[in-house]
Amino acid sequence: MNPTGEAAVLTRATPVRPAIEAQFERVAKEQGKTLQPLSDDLVLADSDLDSLCFAIIVARLEDTLGYDPFGLAEDAAFPVTFGDFVAFYETRRPGVADVPD
Amino acid sequence: MARSVIVSGASRGLGLGIARRLAALGYTVIGIARRRSDELASATREAEHASTGMIHFRPFDLADLAGIPDLVRGLRREFGSIYALVNNAALGTSGVLASMPDSEIDRLIRLNTVSPVLLTKYVVRSMLADGGGRIVTIASIVGFTGYSGLSVYGATKASAIGFTRSLAREVGRAGITVNAVAPGFIATDMTAGLESEERERIVRRSALRRLADIADVSGAVEFLLEDRARNITGTVLTVDAGSTA
Repeated sequence: MNPTGEAAVLTRATPVRPAIEAQFERVAKEQGKTLQPLSDDLVLADSDLDSLCFAIIVARLEDTLGYDPFGLAEDAAFPVTFGDFVAFYETRRPGVADVPD
Repeated sequence: MARSVIVSGASRGLGLGIARRLAALGYTVIGIARRRSDELASATREAEHASTGMIHFRPFDLADLAGIPDLVRGLRREFGSIYALVNNAALGTSGVLASMPDSEIDRLIRLNTVSPVLLTKYVVRSMLADGGGRIVTIASIVGFTGYSGLSVYGATKASAIGFTRSLAREVGRAGITVNAVAPGFIATDMTAGLESEERERIVRRSALRRLADIADVSGAVEFLLEDRARNITGTVLTVDAGSTA
């Protein structure tokens, strides 16, 4: 959530990836983790982040991006790689799936 | 800026006492209950006149489990960061287990256990995003001592203690403390059904020969929200005038 308490307004053009990368880096720093380089094939289990770190990342991304894809699809399996994680957010973005390219 | 604290079950009894106390200390209290009682309306006016902290009432039935995520999102949009959550709302239904209706057992566990767990889940998410917070759950000495006629209630209160201890370990690294306060028998609507003979017996058996009251329990909650309680987590603060000493 931004300081005014309003969820961020998303447009089709708002890139999700930089927001995700920023949160991974911020949480790793706060939690004293040595984050591996964020490539698409990085396996999240090998990233040095643990489940609490991911809970913090998801909570903050909900504030930044305005949605929580895990809350929207509770039965979905947690992404395996960093690329899967980004894709999970990109494909489950509210309204995006229905908009043709 | 005043720290915001959610108090569930704030319309009467202990919850109302906690809401009054925290508002008097300058917190912004968000009181949740099904209906605003006359007492809560009067506490809200008193807080306005005193110009310390405010009490905001938001009606919500905590048995509506599916509505809890939106409730918390809405509160966060309206009030910003949530500093603390006081899980106080509970049913005190008594009855012999063998003859308690199944629906009553279900209602008791839903309101006393599932509802505060879900409320905590969504508030904790917001605290994780903000980098810290305080959770206080009102348990009961019945969670660790026996009392005939309160087996289901006792089960829910014991579960509150187990929940507190494990969650404290889970979110400690994120700067969130999680504690429980276990009152003994105090004079509220919940204990109004106690026979005076029973009350006398409890007083006689307590170390201090009296019952704790709402102010004592509110004071314990107040302490756990203070900066000086920052290194207290995963614990149960018993306020029972020595009933279980």
